[in-house]
Amino acid sequence: MIEEQATVLAAEDIAKDIYRLRLHAPHIVTQGVRPGQFVHVRVPGNTTHLLRRPISVMAARPESGTVELAIQIAGEGTRLLRLVRPNDRLSVLGPLGKPFEPRGAKRIFFVGGGIGAAPIRCAMDAFAGEAEEAIAFFGFRGAEYAYGLENVPCEVRVSTDDGTMGRHTKVTCLLQEAIDEQPPDLILACGPAPMLRTLQNMTLRLRINCQLSLEEHMACGLGACLVCSCKARVRNGTQYHRVCVDGPVFDAREVCLDV
Amino acid sequence: MSERKADLAVRLCGVRLKNPIIAASGTFGFGREFDNLYDIGQLGGISVKGLTLEPRCGNPPHRVAETASGMLNAVGLENPGVDAFISEHLPWLLDKGLVVIANIAGSTVDDYCRMAEKLAPTGAHMLEMNISCPNVKSGGVAFGIEPDMVYAVTRAVKQHAGQPLMVKLSPNVADIAQNARAAEAAGADCLSLINTLTGIAVDAKRRRLVLANNVGGLSGPAIKPVALRMVWQVCKAVGISVVGMGGIMTGTDAAEFMLCGAQAVMVGTANFADPMACPRIVSELEAYLVAQKVRKVGEIVGALIEN
Repeated sequence: MIEEQATVLAAEDIAKDIYRLRLHAPHIVTQGVRPGQFVHVRVPGNTTHLLRRPISVMAARPESGTVELAIQIAGEGTRLLRLVRPNDRLSVLGPLGKPFEPRGAKRIFFVGGGIGAAPIRCAMDAFAGEAEEAIAFFGFRGAEYAYGLENVPCEVRVSTDDGTMGRHTKVTCLLQEAIDEQPPDLILACGPAPMLRTLQNMTLRLRINCQLSLEEHMACGLGACLVCSCKARVRNGTQYHRVCVDGPVFDAREVCLDV
Repeated sequence: MSERKADLAVRLCGVRLKNPIIAASGTFGFGREFDNLYDIGQLGGISVKGLTLEPRCGNPPHRVAETASGMLNAVGLENPGVDAFISEHLPWLLDKGLVVIANIAGSTVDDYCRMAEKLAPTGAHMLEMNISCPNVKSGGVAFGIEPDMVYAVTRAVKQHAGQPLMVKLSPNVADIAQNARAAEAAGADCLSLINTLTGIAVDAKRRRLVLANNVGGLSGPAIKPVALRMVWQVCKAVGISVVGMGGIMTGTDAAEFMLCGAQAVMVGTANFADPMACPRIVSELEAYLVAQKVRKVGEIVGALIEN
């Protein structure tokens, strides 16, 4: 993990309210960025937006020293980050967090919802080729919100909330159908909390290995400040884990996602 | 490390710090995470994550909310307890060669006294008594509001303390100078201020408060003018040393607190925006001294030209 002044190569809209930042960050990339890990990006300008934004990596390319991030405009900070221009410098800290661990799974399902499709796309590119069978399930609000579907390394099934693309259903329903046919050895997932809760219930019930990438407001990103907590089951009850260093990827059996 | 162009060393209650920059409690853990980025031994000191007599798991999430030039936190004193600190973290920290300040928070006077007793035989250099944590009912805030209570808890803990005792003052009070005088009268060796200002953040879309604890502590550049004013007032009110903090992001910010009378400063929220903030501020403070043609950092303490 290292702090680097990354050079902006491009900032381009890839879906409604979602843009891709391509950054030249050779020092971070050299450290080996693994799917599920994130970088902590400082909002440029003055101190108005003090805290860094934790952004999952969508692609890391060692040959060019670049990382690609998909960022959803969620507030003023992510809006300002959209305004960067090629050759601007951004302070980036990374790679951070625990990655997805395929552990030799033969049949892998990837599940991405909304902006959560970004780390899932990264995992697909890394792991789909090694698996005997891989299927990705992407859920979006509508066609205009869809991204990450070009040059995919495996079969992709898409659902949308409004029926404008793929099946008019929840992504977890698509997944359930595929599980009913033949369950996978492993599910890797990232998406909104309701989706993750459904997935957790489903995989615990069916005893399918599942790793979930979580999101929480962060400050240091290093494990020191203890603000990005998530409740986890431990031997004698529950305790708080740090999403930044104990996650963001957790075993579905480990975390408590109750509201 | 390159030769320093100005003498940054300061003395705080007889303890020598190689420079006046101290990592603030609650933003720096026990130093291990930041030591992965740089050698924390180059800092003047660290005030460790607030310790309690028993381990605490802290508040539910969300524990943080960004605000304009600042942030609210409501961690709720999550920590492994004073015993685990002494056995698992303190020896490592002492090896790093910076001044170690053990920050303690209690729910009773007895809690503080027992923690002071446990820490007395250790190598920790100073105690910082947190009587101002706004995020837990039992975080000592009850002792930090009224001057009588500040006096009582300080006096009790002083009798059990084996190290110089620093009292961390709350800004959420009627008259901080009065509380500062109460701590001094009770035997405090040093004061640190300010702790966070209480605040809330509202999510209008969801019509809910952002923090699970509802109320949190505001920190960052947003509070610097308030912090400077309070440090300036308290330094006039007491004769003991003062450590200033509140929104320090740069060496110039640190100098401003020292000009108001602080012997040293703590850097907290800046560590989140810039993980290299503490060593950067050390260098920037040195550059400020050189530009001001000052050889020793002590020369700027209280050197404000008053109107």
